[in-house]
Amino acid sequence: MAAVTAAQPRSSKTESYVDNKRKEDIRQANIKAARAVADAVRTSLGPKGMDKMISTANGEVIITNDGATILNKMEVLQPAAKMLVDLSKSQDSAAGDGTTTVVVIAGALLKQCLLLLTNGIHPTVISDSLHKASTKAVDVLTAMAVPLEISDRESLIKSASTSLNSKVVSQYSTLLAPLAVDSVLSVVDPAKPDMVDLRDIKIVKKLGGTVDDTELVKGLVFDKKASHAAGGPTRMENAKIAVIQFQISPPKTDIEQSIVVSDYTQMDRILKEERNYILGMIKKIKATGCNVLLIQKSILRDAVTDLSLHYLAKAKIMVIKDVEREDIEFITKTLNCLPIANIEHFRAEKLGHADLVEEVSLGDGKIVKVTGIKDMGRTTTVLIRGSNQLVIDEAERSLHDALCVVRCLVSKRFLIAGGGAPEIELSRQLGAWSKVLHGMEGYCVRSFAEALEVIPYTLAENAGLNPIAIVTELRNRHAQGEINAGINVRKGQITNILEENVVQPLLVSTSAITLATECVRMILKIDDIVNVRIMKWQSTAKYLLSSRILYGGFFLNFLFCLFVFFSKLCFLVNNETIHMQHAHLTIQALL
Amino acid sequence: LSGIRISDFPKHRAYDQVFFLCTKTQSYSRPSYFPWRCIEKILKDDASEEKGERARMASFVGAIAITDLVKTTLGPKGMDKILQSTGRGHEVTVTNDGATILKSLHIDNPAAKVLIDISKVQDDEVGDGTTSVVVLAGELLREAEKLVAAKIHPMTIISGYRMAAECARNALLQRVVDNKENAEKFKSDLMKIAMTTLSSKILSQDKEHFAQLAVDAVMRLKGSTNLEAIQIIKKPGGSLKDSFLDEGFILDKKIGLGQPKRIENAKILVANTAMDTDKVKIYGARVRVDSMSKVAEIEGAEKEKMREKVKKILGHGINCFVNRQLIYNFPEELFADAGILAIEHADFDGIERLALVTGGEIASTFDNPESVKLGHCKLIEEIMIGEDKLIHFSGVEMGQACTIVLRGASHHVLDEAERSLHDALCVLSQTVNDTRVLLGGGWPEMVMAKEVDELARKTPGKKSHAIEAFSRALVAIPTIIADNAGLDSADLVAKLRAEHHKEGCNAGIDVISGSVGDMAELGISEAFKVKQAVLLSATEAAEMILRVDEIITCAPRKREDRM
Repeated sequence: MAAVTAAQPRSSKTESYVDNKRKEDIRQANIKAARAVADAVRTSLGPKGMDKMISTANGEVIITNDGATILNKMEVLQPAAKMLVDLSKSQDSAAGDGTTTVVVIAGALLKQCLLLLTNGIHPTVISDSLHKASTKAVDVLTAMAVPLEISDRESLIKSASTSLNSKVVSQYSTLLAPLAVDSVLSVVDPAKPDMVDLRDIKIVKKLGGTVDDTELVKGLVFDKKASHAAGGPTRMENAKIAVIQFQISPPKTDIEQSIVVSDYTQMDRILKEERNYILGMIKKIKATGCNVLLIQKSILRDAVTDLSLHYLAKAKIMVIKDVEREDIEFITKTLNCLPIANIEHFRAEKLGHADLVEEVSLGDGKIVKVTGIKDMGRTTTVLIRGSNQLVIDEAERSLHDALCVVRCLVSKRFLIAGGGAPEIELSRQLGAWSKVLHGMEGYCVRSFAEALEVIPYTLAENAGLNPIAIVTELRNRHAQGEINAGINVRKGQITNILEENVVQPLLVSTSAITLATECVRMILKIDDIVNVRIMKWQSTAKYLLSSRILYGGFFLNFLFCLFVFFSKLCFLVNNETIHMQHAHLTIQALL
Repeated sequence: LSGIRISDFPKHRAYDQVFFLCTKTQSYSRPSYFPWRCIEKILKDDASEEKGERARMASFVGAIAITDLVKTTLGPKGMDKILQSTGRGHEVTVTNDGATILKSLHIDNPAAKVLIDISKVQDDEVGDGTTSVVVLAGELLREAEKLVAAKIHPMTIISGYRMAAECARNALLQRVVDNKENAEKFKSDLMKIAMTTLSSKILSQDKEHFAQLAVDAVMRLKGSTNLEAIQIIKKPGGSLKDSFLDEGFILDKKIGLGQPKRIENAKILVANTAMDTDKVKIYGARVRVDSMSKVAEIEGAEKEKMREKVKKILGHGINCFVNRQLIYNFPEELFADAGILAIEHADFDGIERLALVTGGEIASTFDNPESVKLGHCKLIEEIMIGEDKLIHFSGVEMGQACTIVLRGASHHVLDEAERSLHDALCVLSQTVNDTRVLLGGGWPEMVMAKEVDELARKTPGKKSHAIEAFSRALVAIPTIIADNAGLDSADLVAKLRAEHHKEGCNAGIDVISGSVGDMAELGISEAFKVKQAVLLSATEAAEMILRVDEIITCAPRKREDRM
């Protein structure tokens, strides 16, 4: 017993394990893992790409075509594979679109790197050459790009619909694309014309109807119903709106309080006082002419009570309660009003004005719309409808991508052809450039050029075309100088892709190339994986597991179960039951 | 059974008891030892001790294992490591920084721990050379192991090492360049040092840009080594090239609702006070009343108290209020009404730095406005970096303060960039104080090795073996740099040694072209202070480990609560 108990805590110190595998093995393992991730999303590239169904650990099902979402939900463990997941996240935050493209490019680059490595080229040489190639690639892309005026709404819509075409909701791209463009354009601040803050666009999702019913609301939409208690008004014209951060309920002190009631008459009096107190507040509100109240959610006490709702209804004041604190900034910005934190400060100049506030019933629920806002801030709201939650979620993700595309165009006003045209052109020009370079560099740049062909290849493959025929044909057309020739997936042939209105922002392509290269370079430079800082509980479990195999004794089995039981108790507190449950199951199987 | 006990491996645990038995029989057979029983009574159960040869072997093995782990990260073509946390979330860090790698390791071997410590000290003292110091110490021990095997007493080795280290240091001192007088040249020295430091890091592609950033930032400090004044903010998005240096201070927070977004000639009060309510902190304090109106009164009184507090704060004549804790809606509105910019929930690090750079003090009571030192700055405004809005304080009291905003593709890149930049800043700020500069690229090691070799030839007795070994350990560093770059190290180092036999030669390893090159022409420089620290602390660490002849492992603390 003593030996075992003693050995157990010590194990926590000794689990640091130095991996002595050969360096090449680590690098190859990393590359293989990363490529596996890339292959997993490859089939979702392009307008004819397929969707993935992901069922998460808690039973939720997601159907999506968005690379970033797929990877995010995949829960990979291998560190290099994780870096690819991060890569798609970075692309998401940098450009918003092209999250699949970036991973596919990285996968193709890694494949080429593996070849180069087996040829005995030093990883740092490959890494430096890749960097050079990517800088050159960005130059080539910039030279190909077509400048765009922000007033050119048609072009903006074209590129937004290119992004939407590869999504589940592609049949609605005629509706969603202009919607995305309009909403971005409406939040652009003339003072800072190339800055768009997507937080100024609020997306409200409501089940029911079809995606067709999605609309842009010039104003505010609350996914809540107006308070109906005691028949309060649900429609208000010429609304004067107050955003309040205090509560209309009986007073409550910060110090613990108790009201001592000693006789019957006192009870009556208390009730009356409460009524008067609330009535006093409401009178003050009414005095300013306010007729719509937005009440911030409160955790400390009830924001409103039945009694106050009743009085508010009597005073013909429309009430929307439980507004989140995070939303207050957006609301005040939109309504051009100030939040009011105390009844004493309730003054008319702090109110916002709108032509109409009305409750509308939609599908199974109700929403409140505020329209015709006076001096409205530069914000906008999009109301997404859909027949089921999955469609709505996917529509939101697609719309987000489209918004990002438009935002990219606003901040960097260049367009580039889609449909694999830029990639094949890059591949051609870099291939030519590699011939004038010396030594290893030329060799590596050529591999880079070859890797880029993966995009048109995959596009063709996903569309059910013969990839080899299409890519060679495409190469041929580009060699003849048609730099805008690309794969027209609908017609299944090669056409001038600019004429087909398949365009995307330059930023998406350039950031995909630079980010993918950066990630690949990082993976190449890694020669070791070191496990660090094992958590004490976990390590003990691991040690016991390993010693079980060593000693195989019954006693240890018993001990281990005990340990699992206790640690489960502890983990319950830490919300980490999943891990231990897994261990527990293994034990049951072993026993 | 080999005589080594590496407790790093769990499976070796099984051997422990066997060891125990061996020791017992051995001790009995040697009458000069104390009877075993006595020792058994001295140490607790489960405590173990290792003696003499075996203890030394354990130290050597541990130290050399650590050296081998980090040595591939050395030099401009060194590789990176993935640090995978086995804890929750399996977080991944990719790094090339020796100190970071070693810090995260969990090691049981005492000698290895000594090496990790010297790397930490190197990090704190000079910031760079964290890998070099471990590698040099490891190489010294590797050589010492051979000498010990050749029956040379550790003490002889130690005194030989000491002589050699002193001699090496003198050799460096003779060759240092000091451009303190010439400001122009000194600045170019700094640039070179920064570029050399950064060339082995992730920032190597944009090293000129970052070297310029780091030099500018350090020059602003005007000789102080207080790196606190340089703030580094990481914002994902953009590329590394978009990183920039900005004067003043940037706070990653939001300005309260309805408050001015731009203030000129700001007077700032930095505070750490509760702006929700001043709660009565006596346990069980409660209010007993008998009517609703009284509750309302007390509530009103609480509000009034808050209003008083805000009034007192306003009494300081400020126009910007920064609080570490939350500011609730009510006081926020009061501030907005008074036209004051209030920032809530600034993190602790943030407000300490803000107080430092604006020359203010952190206040927590507001009764004596005259005794509170306010911070000042010329302009506060909201700026946008990437997606986020931040608050920029420019023209601050402490003129040397500046902010470096790092941009990059992902968090991995940003974290690593910060570590690299931190190294460069440390080295530069040290160099500003100690302006002596050396060449890089294995040049200092070769210079030292040459002198040490000379000394070995002159020294009679066994010590000369140790001195010779010291020189071999020094040469190992250029060898490793060449190996990491995939070059033929044996050939290169031999060439280099031949070059160094000429007087006043500047030859070092040019990793980029893969040959021996002139370091002065290539502009590869290192700070003298870094090299000196590497040399001295590596020698000291090696000495310390060599002196050990017994390892006593104490009995582990028992965890009664678990069983």
